[in-house]
Amino acid sequence: MLKNALSIARKEFTDTITSKRLWVLIGIFLLFSIASTYSTSFGFIMGGRQAARPMVQIASAIATAMTYMAPLLGIALAFDAVSGERERGTLRILLSRPIYREDVINGKIMSALATIGLAIILSSLASVSVSILLHNISVTIDDISRICLFAVFSAVLSFAYYALSLFISTFSNKSSHSLVISIGIWIFLAFILSIMSSFIATAVLGPPPERAVAVFNMSRRQFGNFTTPGSVMLQESEEYLNYMRKVSEISSAIQAFSINYHYTQITNSLFGFAAGPLEFRQRESTMTSISTVLSTRLIDIIVLIVFPIVFLTASYMVFTRRQEK
Amino acid sequence: MSLAVETERLVKIYGNEKTMVKALDGVDMKVPKASVFGLFGPNGSGKTTLISILVGLLLPTSGSARVLGFDAARDSVEIRRRVSLLPEGFGFYEHMTALENLVFLATLDGVPPDQRKKRALQALETVGLKDRADAKVSTFSRGMKQRLGVAQALLKDPELLIFDEPTVGIDPEGAAEFRNLVRRMNREGKTILLSTHLLYEVGMICTHAAIIREGRLLVQGSVDELYRSVREVKGFRYEIRVKPGSDMPLQEIRSMPSVMEITQSDNRVTVLSKNDIGSNLFSLMTKNPYKDIVESLTPVEPSWEEIYRFYQGGG
Repeated sequence: MLKNALSIARKEFTDTITSKRLWVLIGIFLLFSIASTYSTSFGFIMGGRQAARPMVQIASAIATAMTYMAPLLGIALAFDAVSGERERGTLRILLSRPIYREDVINGKIMSALATIGLAIILSSLASVSVSILLHNISVTIDDISRICLFAVFSAVLSFAYYALSLFISTFSNKSSHSLVISIGIWIFLAFILSIMSSFIATAVLGPPPERAVAVFNMSRRQFGNFTTPGSVMLQESEEYLNYMRKVSEISSAIQAFSINYHYTQITNSLFGFAAGPLEFRQRESTMTSISTVLSTRLIDIIVLIVFPIVFLTASYMVFTRRQEK
Repeated sequence: MSLAVETERLVKIYGNEKTMVKALDGVDMKVPKASVFGLFGPNGSGKTTLISILVGLLLPTSGSARVLGFDAARDSVEIRRRVSLLPEGFGFYEHMTALENLVFLATLDGVPPDQRKKRALQALETVGLKDRADAKVSTFSRGMKQRLGVAQALLKDPELLIFDEPTVGIDPEGAAEFRNLVRRMNREGKTILLSTHLLYEVGMICTHAAIIREGRLLVQGSVDELYRSVREVKGFRYEIRVKPGSDMPLQEIRSMPSVMEITQSDNRVTVLSKNDIGSNLFSLMTKNPYKDIVESLTPVEPSWEEIYRFYQGGG
């Protein structure tokens, strides 16, 4: 069985790495990530400061690009995996050989794993190398470890979308249908669900309370002969903060249905963004250790791994039970 | 009689209760080993469904099918190890060359690595495509693709070859080559099951045939048996050719006990008889005055159109 699956995997892998589709996608990703890293390092220069961990900051910029590109890579590899064979009539020729149906799926999955691994490693390596060369950045062992972990999680995200799109492809007769459904689901999970979650949260909680309250600072400071007067500051009210906390809780609960959300949570933690939504985008001065990231983000990691397993299982069930005339 | 294929009360229903379509309705088919078995039927009669069940691509709703002694539902991989299929509406990997396609399929067929290329080239040579071995399939015409389809069926050394509508889309010359190939393979002892909606194809190469219509097998048997059963009902027909300008006396023929009808046109006389009077007619033609005016006496087999009409109840 493995021999046949490997034969199919070898052919699929050769087809994929020689296809324009893959290289166009990798090219777009590289452009996108290089632009992101450039704008990040441009921020350092404009701010007249050097970040404490510039490589990690640049990697987090690459992560933003990866959030979009990894799912697209997975979809690009899977949307016509089975439906394309069905459309071209090659599935009939394949299934008329003395092989099991599982061999076809296994071969395609093996090839996809290799391609995704190769594409993610190549893209990440290329982006990081270009950034190092362009901005003359030094890299630590911890940076490399975080980037490697990031590459692994990005590959899992890509594979999750591969599994989803493969599942759709197994019951589609037309690749165009499979592509439209896959892209539609990606758009929903990546964009629409987060917008919807905010709407739902504000609809449930009602309008927000007064945002700012005035805080009077009566203390005076002595600078030599000069004494500063007391001041009035605007500060976010406790009620408002509570409200926002609840909004973020509801929003997070809804977004938990999206695999993109879990991936973002992991990469945010990995690259030093505090996890809490209110503090979001405020980089912690001391980064959390990798082991702490892995333990605090365990649920997200489990979801990221379980998602493709569910869809692969479904793909197996549909493909092996579906009868091909 | 040793059988290559045997089905028993085979039923296949597509769809759910509302959209139910009965593609096969209790098919009992027996394909003898070393025969060229023609499965004839119009489009949508259930031929492809039947073939798909035989190689395990479809599961029957009820009934059973055995191919080369293996159960089609349980041992489909074993069947496909011994059976080559040319499916209808098949396709190849267009971005690959003909040779690459065949080598890949030979790998899946379990052909040893050192023999794959050799077998692929042999198969291409058999179908007359050896000189296009390194051309991409996307550059092939429909007829060439069909020939490549036949080539992929020859990669392993199958005991049974199943061709589903093999000559659709190929030119008359290609169809003739295909028929020669079928005859040659049959002479080598291979069983060939051929599905077609072209009646003349059955008559030209088949030793056995079955007619399927609306999922039911109307008749099956050797081609001779099918001819005989039609003749037994519709009568035996003989054609007598006479020398140009000769006047053929018909009285003696007309007086033969089972003769039903005699028609005459130009130098041709057609005799329709209820029974087989071939030997009687032959004796008569060797006597005077016939022996000097008759050029030939031949029994006329019913045409396949007649056989089909006969068995589908159209007279």
